Amino acid sequence: MDVLKRKILATFAAAGLAMALPAGSLMAQSWPEEPITIVVPFPPGGSTDLLARKIGEAISGPLGQPVVVENRGGAGGTVGANYVANADPDGYTLLMGVTGSNAISAALRDDLPYSPTEDFDPVSIVISSPLVLVVRSDSDFETVEDVLTYARENPDSFTHGTPGVGTSMHMSAELFGLVSDTSLVHVPYQGSAAALQDLLGGQIDAMFGDILVTSEYITSGRLRPLAVTGTQEHFLLEGVPTVEEAGLDGYSAFSWQGLFAPAGTPPQVLDTLYAAVSDALQSDDIQALFRERGFLVEGMSPAESKQFIADEVAKWTEVVDAAGLKN
Amino acid sequence: MDLLSGITLGLQTALSWQALMFCFIGVTVGTVVGVLPGIGALAAISLALPLTYYLDPTVALIMLAGIFYGAQYGGSTSSILLNLPGTATAAITCLDGNPLAKQGRAPLALFVTAINSFIGSTFAIVLVMGFAPVIAEFALSFGSAEYFSVILLGLVAASTMTSGSAWKALAMVVFGLALGQVGTDINTGQFRFTFGQYALADGFSLVALAMGLFGVAEIISNIGQPPGTVHSVGRIRFRDMLPARGEWKRIWAPTLRGSVIGSFVGALPGTGPGIATLMAYATEKRLSKTPERFGHGALEGLSAPEAANNASVQAAFIPTLSLGIPGDAVVAVLMGAMILHGIQPGPNLITNEPEMFWGLIMSFWVGNILLLILNIPLIGLWVKLLSIPYHLLYPGILIFICLGVYSADNNVFDIYVVLGFGLVGVLMRRWGFPATPVLLGFILGPLLEEHFRRAMLLSKGDLLVFFERPISAIFLALSLLFLGSVFLPGLRKRLGRQATDT
Repeated sequence: MDVLKRKILATFAAAGLAMALPAGSLMAQSWPEEPITIVVPFPPGGSTDLLARKIGEAISGPLGQPVVVENRGGAGGTVGANYVANADPDGYTLLMGVTGSNAISAALRDDLPYSPTEDFDPVSIVISSPLVLVVRSDSDFETVEDVLTYARENPDSFTHGTPGVGTSMHMSAELFGLVSDTSLVHVPYQGSAAALQDLLGGQIDAMFGDILVTSEYITSGRLRPLAVTGTQEHFLLEGVPTVEEAGLDGYSAFSWQGLFAPAGTPPQVLDTLYAAVSDALQSDDIQALFRERGFLVEGMSPAESKQFIADEVAKWTEVVDAAGLKN
Repeated sequence: MDLLSGITLGLQTALSWQALMFCFIGVTVGTVVGVLPGIGALAAISLALPLTYYLDPTVALIMLAGIFYGAQYGGSTSSILLNLPGTATAAITCLDGNPLAKQGRAPLALFVTAINSFIGSTFAIVLVMGFAPVIAEFALSFGSAEYFSVILLGLVAASTMTSGSAWKALAMVVFGLALGQVGTDINTGQFRFTFGQYALADGFSLVALAMGLFGVAEIISNIGQPPGTVHSVGRIRFRDMLPARGEWKRIWAPTLRGSVIGSFVGALPGTGPGIATLMAYATEKRLSKTPERFGHGALEGLSAPEAANNASVQAAFIPTLSLGIPGDAVVAVLMGAMILHGIQPGPNLITNEPEMFWGLIMSFWVGNILLLILNIPLIGLWVKLLSIPYHLLYPGILIFICLGVYSADNNVFDIYVVLGFGLVGVLMRRWGFPATPVLLGFILGPLLEEHFRRAMLLSKGDLLVFFERPISAIFLALSLLFLGSVFLPGLRKRLGRQATDT
């Protein structure tokens, strides 16, 4: 009886304490006490899935809790992102978000049920990867200049394929058009493989493609890289200029992936998570994997990431508005 | 590397004890998820994928691929026995498979599907071995104009598919087309008919639609049936499985045609076994001298689609392995698995990873033999399913359907969709509206629209593009022929005897 009484008393005391203190801080000190879920807003097998699983594996040890990856695909990543935006901000449900789900969608859609800037506390923008403008190797386009000359002389004729409206491939091309003041024809597909198929088959002229995927076709001599969209030469494509070096001043675009928590997550939790992610990024294993995949390690802090997201949303909103793409 | 040394290398890989074991696990899991309504290859592979991270890449792929083609064997079992498609693509198998079972010939139907699946697979595997790069290059010459014409041919061919009222069938095609409109418009990114539901942004899932209209509807329709429907099943003798002498000749030609159609459709990226089975069934019905037997247990209507879906699944590896372009949604996940294991699929795969390429292909063959060995003895066991009373069997199946539909995207909304379509399916049955045309419109409609609009975008709105490109023109001509063969007999009668002389 006595034991039970003491237990009840202790429970009440704990409850009282919990009410007296800001709820978050108590929770944050003992976090994590249960398994952590990283939601991947795409089906298994893609690069976001791989990244989430590798990062999850690496931070699970130091945090002392299992990390589970859950795939919730749909609507270009926005279904999964919306799920996390509405999850409890307790640090147990996280999102591996991407350019589309956590920046471009805000620019593109009025009816987006969440706000990438307000409904998330970023943990870290983990990696970035530029895209590459590729054409078939038997095409007449040898340089970016050739493309621009052709596009200026033949407006609405240069066709490029993308995996859909609002993907980073699409937005990189729209930005290309805006900066160079040319109008390219956007040909959207269901997924990048279908676009690649039509590029190889000669149905379209070009594509802003994933570096890793296209590098296979570049080394086999089927595709020719004209420029990378980032700010520096990419280690998988040595000797290929950036779009800016090729003559488009101020052009830079790349896709990125990062870990996000729902807004309102206690800062201590974010810091603990960030420290674990940051350590993971130093490991030789992950460095080697990222190199092989063509990823550039970013590892931004929560504060840097927040600023980065705000800048990205602003940048793509400008492009969407200028190109008249708003839905 | 020549064919013979490739085969030798492949057999060395595929016959190692590890490869054999995981191949067996794969095809067994595949058969089981195929039999269970709702849980299909896509869901099973997605669930199994993370488990393979620690396996050797080739072995992992052998197992995952085994699930994929194993499911095609299992999918027809529940279609035949219970009129519940085990996988979305096995819905067509219900049409003639289930009537056969109701005539007490379930062992025969199951035997024929196992053999046909094997023949269809073998046909496509030989194509992959000998001609993968050539076929893949040919598939590359298909642009949106060609795809449009092929799909139009499919639609025209399949429109003559169902028996019963043509108007009701047509209405259901339109219903399917309308359902296919729901989702994101590819060209503009606009949401269409989603009614503010984000869960509808990618449209209805094919699995949820097929499982609702065929599976849940069948279960609900059987509620309140007298318990007398329980079959008593005796010992199945091997003799019961064999077709009668006259029946063999109804099987072999449709099987071959089905294999060809399946291989062709499967090798074209972006299509899939759903289209292959529809086209194979429609072709057989069109070619048949006695089309009225279709839907009442015609062996042709069972054989052709079964051969086609297996051929299509194996042929889907042609563009994947030789070009790095996935043939359908499931192969896309398999490709993801390769990438996770550090193998980049692309045009260099066959030269860079000959062991994996040949090992995988030979494992298809080994796997199909295993499936045959596995499935024929199982027939007796499956048929016993019929003796389970409905009030025990159906709740279990409903649970599997919900689980399967949910596991595809971890989305509860899909469960409401499957139940909703179950109710729609019940109403359709009550008033005699067939369900297959809904699938037809739902699968082909969005593809037709996508390729038509892309062809228009690329030709700057010039409709002549469909006639100027030779492959497209050929398929359009075939569509016209097909239409002609439907309307001409009537026309001839009206024009009188003279016309028939010409």
